[in-house]
Amino acid sequence: MPDILWFIIRRLLATVLVMLALSLAVYLIFYAIPADPAHLACGKPCTPDRLEQARHFMQLDQSTIQQYLNFLKGIFAGRTFGEGAAAVHCNAPCFGYSFPLARPVTTLILDRLPVTASIAVGAAVLWLIIGVSLGVVAALNRGRPLDRLAVGVALIGVSTPSFLLGLLAILVFGFWLNMVPVNGYVPFSESPVDWAWHLVTPWLVLAVLQAASYIRLTRAQMLEELNLDHITTARAKGAGEARVVVTHGLRGALVPIVTLFGLDLGGLLGGAILTEKVFSMQGLGELLISAVGQLDVAVVVGVTLFSAFLIIVANLVVDIVHGALDPRVSHG
Amino acid sequence: MAEPVLEVHDLRVTFDTEGGLVPAVDGIDFSVAAGQTLAIVGESGSGKSVSSAAVMGILPSNAEVKGEVLLDGRELVGLPSDELRKIRGNDIALVFQDALSALNPYYTVGWQVAEAYRLHHDVSKKAAFQRAIELLDKVGIPDAARRAKSYPHEFSGGMRQRVVIAMALVNDPRVLIADEPTTALDVTVQAQIMQLLADVQEEFGTALVLISHDLGVVAEVADDVLVMYAGRAAERGTVRDLFHRAAHPYSLGLLGAMPRIDVPPRPRLTTIPGSPPSPGSIKTGCPFQPRCAYTERVGERCITERPELTPRPGEGDHEAACHLGRRPEAVV
Ligand SMILES: Nc1ncnc2c1ncn2[C@@H]1O[C@H](COP(=O)(O)OP(=O)(O)O)[C@@H](O)[C@H]1O
Ligand code: SF4
Ligand SMILES: [Mg+2]
Repeated sequence: MPDILWFIIRRLLATVLVMLALSLAVYLIFYAIPADPAHLACGKPCTPDRLEQARHFMQLDQSTIQQYLNFLKGIFAGRTFGEGAAAVHCNAPCFGYSFPLARPVTTLILDRLPVTASIAVGAAVLWLIIGVSLGVVAALNRGRPLDRLAVGVALIGVSTPSFLLGLLAILVFGFWLNMVPVNGYVPFSESPVDWAWHLVTPWLVLAVLQAASYIRLTRAQMLEELNLDHITTARAKGAGEARVVVTHGLRGALVPIVTLFGLDLGGLLGGAILTEKVFSMQGLGELLISAVGQLDVAVVVGVTLFSAFLIIVANLVVDIVHGALDPRVSHG
Repeated sequence: MAEPVLEVHDLRVTFDTEGGLVPAVDGIDFSVAAGQTLAIVGESGSGKSVSSAAVMGILPSNAEVKGEVLLDGRELVGLPSDELRKIRGNDIALVFQDALSALNPYYTVGWQVAEAYRLHHDVSKKAAFQRAIELLDKVGIPDAARRAKSYPHEFSGGMRQRVVIAMALVNDPRVLIADEPTTALDVTVQAQIMQLLADVQEEFGTALVLISHDLGVVAEVADDVLVMYAGRAAERGTVRDLFHRAAHPYSLGLLGAMPRIDVPPRPRLTTIPGSPPSPGSIKTGCPFQPRCAYTERVGERCITERPELTPRPGEGDHEAACHLGRRPEAVV
């Protein structure tokens, strides 16, 4: 057990270093953009005086490195812009302040996260179930019509753009059949039923598209697993087919499936940009896109870093789970 | 002679492959009684493993099995799969050649032995695990209670083979089929495993079918021997029939290829030149003809007429499938 603890500690330290390097890179890239946030804040007409004032207030008059250090300090100690009654506070952990939205980036992210998380987690559960079960069915019926069907569905799935399927779903189920709401998000705490009802179409759309790669992966893994000698052992012991396939076959296929799942979910939690756009849901993806439109650099940097952080965390979790799932790794 | 526990009559296995029908086993007969050992020998590819898998009913779905497999007089061929499942691993158990690949890498050895028990006994997981520890102890795994919680890769090759044997024995099977159980092991460990099988057989009166190409081992432990060549029986008889009165040129070839320490080296080493035919490729005549040193003494018949098993002098049912009527003298 201490082995795995050391492994986690080492990985966490590495994660901190990677995040530092990444944040510097993201910061430099976005602050190199010629657009001047102060210019937007100062309004029209913008006198040089007011521009200078705005620059000073937003702490943009300092050197880029100093700004980056301010940013880092803000994460741990918070930041205050301006002085006296006009001062704006951004409490730790402060990942920047959006002057156009007049909110700390941290608050913005936390406000939007439940929307994106609801979309992502629900869709992920669905696509995992659909993808893995179809993949298993395909493998068990290799070369037969059911297999061809599943492989065909997977092919359509990977080659269909999500906005197209999303719009089609809205058109058919929303407008023609009038079965489901076509946009908007209702918080779970307000009404779990409405929450699910509004999410069911985006869930299905994302699930159908994502399931494709899970069908392919599961099918390939299962074909490999079911050929192994220990599968014959299970049969020779007197295990029934269901037990042979699930307990012995699928168990071996689990590691790559879980790996893909973790990385996909981590990526999607950072914002399902197209899906949020198509279904008019105010998630992280939508936050990022509108921030880009308004040159709200603080938000762009914050959301980008947050998405990157999620992917790094997903990698870490996947590695830990891999160790837990494969005794040959953890009991080296 | 005692009543046979397992009787096989005219067993035929044909694989339906892309390259056509492959008659891997082409009509073999054997039987084995409680406490007795039948050895099946022959070069690799002669159909030994396929025969044992056919008896277990664990061949892939592209295999067609014909003939009779009788367990205590009860026909197993054509039995519904859930009936067969109750017999597999319970009345007839299999020990595989390569213990590493035969064991599932994702479960502890104790779990795997316990699973074999639970599949045939309605007991709690805990009781089954206790039973597994008991068996692991019996097959000579030191500190079995602790080692039961280890994974296959944490054992040496010999210890792993003991685990596989424990798994096969956990339900006190009437018949144990060991398919080259020591091939993957080094010599001292081979001797230990053979001793273990002999001890088990003595204690439980198990009927043992030992597949081997180590004639030294066969001479030591077998009561009866079946020599297979290209999916057919070349010769069968008691162990003394085979070692003192071998009647088939192929058996003589195998005996010549066997390193012996009890007799002075022969003037010339008699290995069998050439390699066995692929199943079904020789349609008429004797399948051993292309490699046979005696075919000239017989002539045309070896090419035109397939030799059937016919009685030979010896103890009981000594038979060989060769047109040479009498015991051939060694060709020098
Ligand atoms: N699943 C299969 N499909 C087609 N041919 C097979 C299959 N399994 C075994 N065979 C063929 O059957 C023959 C006998 O194989 P096997 O019983 O494994 O030989 P051995 O005597 O070495 O155990 C071989 O020629 C092999 O190619
Ligand atoms: S039948 Fe002929 S070819 Fe076949 S083993 Fe006998 S002598 Fe050799
Ligand atoms: Mg074999």
